[in-house]
Amino acid sequence: MKRLAATVAALAVTIVFAPGADAYLKLGTRVGNRVVDLRFNTFPIRYFITNRDVPGVTAPQLRQSVENAFASWGAVPNLGLSAQFVGFTGINPVSGDDANVIGFTSRPDLERVLGSTSFTVDTATGEVLESDIFLNSTFAWSVAGGGEAGRQDVESIALHEIGHLHGLGHSMLGETELSSGGRRVLGAEAVMFPVAFASGTINRALRADDIAGISDIYGSQAFRDSTGSISGRVTKNGTGVPGAHVVAFNPASGKLIASFTLTPDGAFVIAGLEPGPHILRVEPLDDADASSFLESSFTVDMDFKVAFHNKLVTVPKGGTARSVEIKVVGK
Amino acid sequence: MTLLTPLAAAAQPYSGNASPRAGSFEVSGGAAWTRGYDAGSADALLTRPGAAGTPPLTLFNVTGTVESGPGAVARLGVYLARRVSVEATIEFSRPVLRAHLGDDFELATDTDAEETITSYLAGGSLLYHFGAGRIVPFVSGGGGYLRQLHEENAELLSGTEIHGGGGIKYWFGTGRHRFGLRADAQVSSRSQAVAFEQKRRVLPSFSVGVAYLF
Repeated sequence: MKRLAATVAALAVTIVFAPGADAYLKLGTRVGNRVVDLRFNTFPIRYFITNRDVPGVTAPQLRQSVENAFASWGAVPNLGLSAQFVGFTGINPVSGDDANVIGFTSRPDLERVLGSTSFTVDTATGEVLESDIFLNSTFAWSVAGGGEAGRQDVESIALHEIGHLHGLGHSMLGETELSSGGRRVLGAEAVMFPVAFASGTINRALRADDIAGISDIYGSQAFRDSTGSISGRVTKNGTGVPGAHVVAFNPASGKLIASFTLTPDGAFVIAGLEPGPHILRVEPLDDADASSFLESSFTVDMDFKVAFHNKLVTVPKGGTARSVEIKVVGK
Repeated sequence: MTLLTPLAAAAQPYSGNASPRAGSFEVSGGAAWTRGYDAGSADALLTRPGAAGTPPLTLFNVTGTVESGPGAVARLGVYLARRVSVEATIEFSRPVLRAHLGDDFELATDTDAEETITSYLAGGSLLYHFGAGRIVPFVSGGGGYLRQLHEENAELLSGTEIHGGGGIKYWFGTGRHRFGLRADAQVSSRSQAVAFEQKRRVLPSFSVGVAYLF
């Protein structure tokens, strides 16, 4: 029922997801036996744009789209995110040059990857020392305001990759269907959904899930004081369901924010929620490859039916709702 | 003339028509019921790829109701005049907020998710009574403050309330101290209440109980 795109905005870095106590799939790196979040500690983030035109997009147009994408993340309230264009450069977006570089690179070998973000991190603290983003010029690109048939929108993909650059992992708030050996997006409510919208369309607006995720990494105490969280477990026949996708829906605001069960016992936390009653829905991780979200060593249980929790869960302001257990049954 | 006046005054309690006087108190309490209401509906929506105006994908929908729950009311009133009293009221109830979840995109079984609300209404009313016999109709009006707590006392919702209505008291005795029955019917307008959609709601409410005049 769900399909693939010919194109996937992938994250091709050798990093791990942050541990189960965290609400979102944040990027992390192992330091000894623990995992620390990847994040920039110094702002503005200074970046270069590779001075290379591709058919349909000039380097200055790429710069403008990237500026717009950084501005979208920077507009999330109370985080203090900012970025600064330093200049055009002849170097490619590759790691190891101590510069954050964003540009087009031809990667015909990555036939389903539109873009990718890589990092150099301080393995003691998780601080990002350098991050580079390439957009795969094997594909056709456009900066047209309303999208352009047959071409991928630069700003939409840059917005996704810059989410990674800030330390966010993928969200699974979307539905896809299989198509021609790939997946096609039917609907998504997160820029950080790993499968890109079809060419010719745009996806340039951050959603509640994106904002909650970035706020979880960079949010202030004031943010945590004004929002709340839900924690609990997803179980099947009394045992935990790892890798389940748990969605919290606030009927009063219409906001959807999601997370995963990130431990073998099926524990999850969803933070950054507005106070008030929420509905919880659980579904298997079947709308994209599990490896798009979680480490390959993490066993994901996809053998259960989509289900709702039979209790409304009220999120307290600045606190955590009582622990819930969502019971699912096998398919 | 001077002789008749004290006789007339002495005759009043004897006739069974002893009216409350300014300074009399009345306490009452009993069971209360407030009608449930539509709590609003919402769709969980995903953005569909496409041109501007492309309708979203509905992941599932929610239809909310608040069902009336059992309640209790207590009042303390003081008479300002024979027919006029003011009273303070506290009402407690436990309505149920129910969300019907359906039309799931991936065919999840329709489910009712619910939560019991704890609701407190504190307010005051002005009452005007018609007559002074055993059966005393009255009209009332006033306002109050509504506080609602979700389960485990999470999230306080508060708002204002105004009400108007009437009722009837039936007194068993005729003395200055007496027991009776009391029934109230009111229309209550609430600025906020637990729901998925905030708007002023007008709800009928009823109560029956006992009263004591002293």
